[in-house]
Amino acid sequence: MVIVRRKELSLLEKLYLPEIARGLSITFRKLFEKKITRQYPEEPLPKDEVTRGQPRLVVKDDGNIACVSCGMCEIACPAYAITIDGGETDRAIEREPVHFEIDMLRCILCGFCEEACPKDAIFMSDELELADYSRGALIYDLAKLKRPKSALQKRIDYVYRLNNRWRKSPSTR
Amino acid sequence: MNPLLRDILVWLVKAGVVYGGLLGVAAGMTLAERKVSAWMQYRHGPNRVGPWGLLQPIADGVKFIFKESLTPDGANRWLFRFAPAIAAVPAMMTVAVIPFGPAVPLPDSWGVPAAFTNLSVTDLDIGLMYLLAIGGLSIYGVILGGWASNSKFSLLGGLRASAQMISYELTLILTILAVVALSGSLSLRGVVEAQPDFWEWNVFHQPLAFVLFSIAAFAETNRHPFDFAECEPELVSGFHTEYSSMRFALFALGEYCAMVVMASLWTTLFLGGYKVPFWENAPWFVCVAAFCAKTSLFLFLYLWVRWTLPRFRFDQLMHLGWKVFLPLALVNLFLTGAAVSYGVDLW
Repeated sequence: MVIVRRKELSLLEKLYLPEIARGLSITFRKLFEKKITRQYPEEPLPKDEVTRGQPRLVVKDDGNIACVSCGMCEIACPAYAITIDGGETDRAIEREPVHFEIDMLRCILCGFCEEACPKDAIFMSDELELADYSRGALIYDLAKLKRPKSALQKRIDYVYRLNNRWRKSPSTR
Repeated sequence: MNPLLRDILVWLVKAGVVYGGLLGVAAGMTLAERKVSAWMQYRHGPNRVGPWGLLQPIADGVKFIFKESLTPDGANRWLFRFAPAIAAVPAMMTVAVIPFGPAVPLPDSWGVPAAFTNLSVTDLDIGLMYLLAIGGLSIYGVILGGWASNSKFSLLGGLRASAQMISYELTLILTILAVVALSGSLSLRGVVEAQPDFWEWNVFHQPLAFVLFSIAAFAETNRHPFDFAECEPELVSGFHTEYSSMRFALFALGEYCAMVVMASLWTTLFLGGYKVPFWENAPWFVCVAAFCAKTSLFLFLYLWVRWTLPRFRFDQLMHLGWKVFLPLALVNLFLTGAAVSYGVDLW
């Protein structure tokens, strides 16, 4: 059994009115305090290198994408969101994707494709907004997936740093 | 031009200004309510429609018009349709007797001699009685709306609202009577003229009546902390649970109009109406501005209190009304009456 002892109210407190005035003064002060709501489309969400947004394909400085259409990401993808059709190219790498599609409605932003890629061709960008008027528009093709390397540089550096940490840890040295 | 024709014209202009103003302020209150509540909770409030969200009431109105108007099965169709109108009309009728400015000179033009017109739609000698009598009708809208909906929540909300309004109308009228005893007039303009100077405002002569009136005014307009007619946690939405579309909007409009009328009555009875403090014979537009400023003070108080205090329990409300406010109001009226009849200046 719990005996709850309520606080004895003083006469002023029993009169309510001074306490009401106290409450009103509190809410009045709050009127002028800084607003904490983020005005979302105008004030974007905070992003940094850890942000794991939608996957994007790296376009190297020479203008070609780094992808060689090996299909590792396609296999790694747990949501079967990636579809790649490979084709030949005259470049030294000999192979490049003809079609590279990511169904953004399937993508679960897990980052497995980023880990699987042997050519550093796909990275998780900091792009988070995903809205359109049809399902078809949300199946992203090569044109929509290409991003210059500079736009993804923060994430690329972060992934490299992360991998280096594991390589240099005492247990694996 | 015929003098009668000019009188009719002047009267039409005044009526247009008053009703346009009333509906405009009521629409503005819906925005102000959301803005003030937002600011008190560190939010911004509506700010997408127009600059600072100023067009939000219009957007809301358009939305309400295009919504489907549902009538529940088993509802009393006629009363169900009629109730929102009964709730909204009394507030729009009572605003007619509120004096919002002093006499304004009409220039000598079009061959009609110069004259004065009082700034209010009409100046009834029994303005206060008219206001209370008509204002009391608005409860029919609430209880009929609750009963005709064929829903237990609506009925409970309507019943609570009527019990509450009857209880608090007593306190309201008794406090108003004390003011009437002081000013010796049932006309609202007479009450204003009886408090010409800042220190003669009734709020200083009748502090107890002012406090009681303030609390009863919240109960009378069904506002927080006394909004038992709605009472979301228990009654879904009270008497207007089953209402949608413009019928619902009419209930809301009626509530906000009643708030505006109550705030202007508050100003008139206790804060010297359109009188400007420390400036006798101020020009009429300054007086109107003073009236608007004082009224908006009380309108803000409505919002301020709503977002500060939690709702009472129903038995607490009844206890407060019958066992605390009614005796206090009676004692106040008795003392005021005694002081007035023996010519004692209480202050």
